[in-house]
Amino acid sequence: MRDPCTSLSGLLERYFDRDVTDQEKRFVEDHLQDCQACQDELRSLEELQTLLKVPVDEAARQEDFAWVWQKIEREIQAREKPSWRESIRAWLGLFFPSRRRVLIPAVAVALLIIAITSPLFFKETPSQLDSSVVVYLESDTNNVMVYEPEKENVTVIWLFEGPDKESPT
Amino acid sequence: MKIKIFILAFILVLLPVLTSRAFAQVQTRIRTIEASNVGSLVDPSLRDVHDQLGSLFNFTSYRLLRDESVSLAPNKPYEISAHREVSLEVTLVSQKKDMAEYRVRIRREKSEILNTTVRLSPGRSVLVGGPKHGKGIIILALSARF
Repeated sequence: MRDPCTSLSGLLERYFDRDVTDQEKRFVEDHLQDCQACQDELRSLEELQTLLKVPVDEAARQEDFAWVWQKIEREIQAREKPSWRESIRAWLGLFFPSRRRVLIPAVAVALLIIAITSPLFFKETPSQLDSSVVVYLESDTNNVMVYEPEKENVTVIWLFEGPDKESPT
Repeated sequence: MKIKIFILAFILVLLPVLTSRAFAQVQTRIRTIEASNVGSLVDPSLRDVHDQLGSLFNFTSYRLLRDESVSLAPNKPYEISAHREVSLEVTLVSQKKDMAEYRVRIRREKSEILNTTVRLSPGRSVLVGGPKHGKGIIILALSARF
């Protein structure tokens, strides 16, 4: 029959490091209740940890790790920097989500905004041609006069018919 | 389902915008006037025309033959028969927010004696005159309401 303490020697260290399964944990704890040698071994491990932990913690407190983390983050960002195509795709992805549920209402709203605001954008500025009242004037048979009084808001277009054209009432 | 309702609402909202552009009509006032030197009667409603033409012509009488306010639709001619020989035709050519373009044609015995296109803005009027009418002449006073 094997000595149980011999088989537990490796397991006890893993138990101390909390690197055991539940079954192994139960087995070690059952064994510790009856084995003084293993209890001593465990206690010595705890004392050793305490002995090492204090100076290590003290040294770590004194050490500034901020710059190390900054360097690590810079390295990560440099390695993970996407290509320009991926950047554009990601940027477009913000505006054109692929989900139809979002895309269709978004397009509809955009069209609505365009329909409402387009007259404002395409409002024609009055040109010299637009400001003139008479756009076109033609008479093959008579002389025609156009008169625009300065003060009056009226334009007069006058056709001079010959006396022979006068019709009876 | 929600998407369908949204699209339907969108169409309902957009429809008036599109239809108002497609079927835009312009309220147009057309006065047909006879000016002559027979008598000295000036119709009270024609004081503005009398004042406007006073510096150009010495007509002593202004008589209102017709006063019409019509809703003109684009490219639908509106005909005014002022005399059995003279006919006047007014057509809304185009309409923008604060400007309407009209074509005015005057025919005498089926031959066109005047063809003009004019632009009217709010508060502006056009007087087209000259065709003989009895012992006077016919004047067409055109103005638009936007």
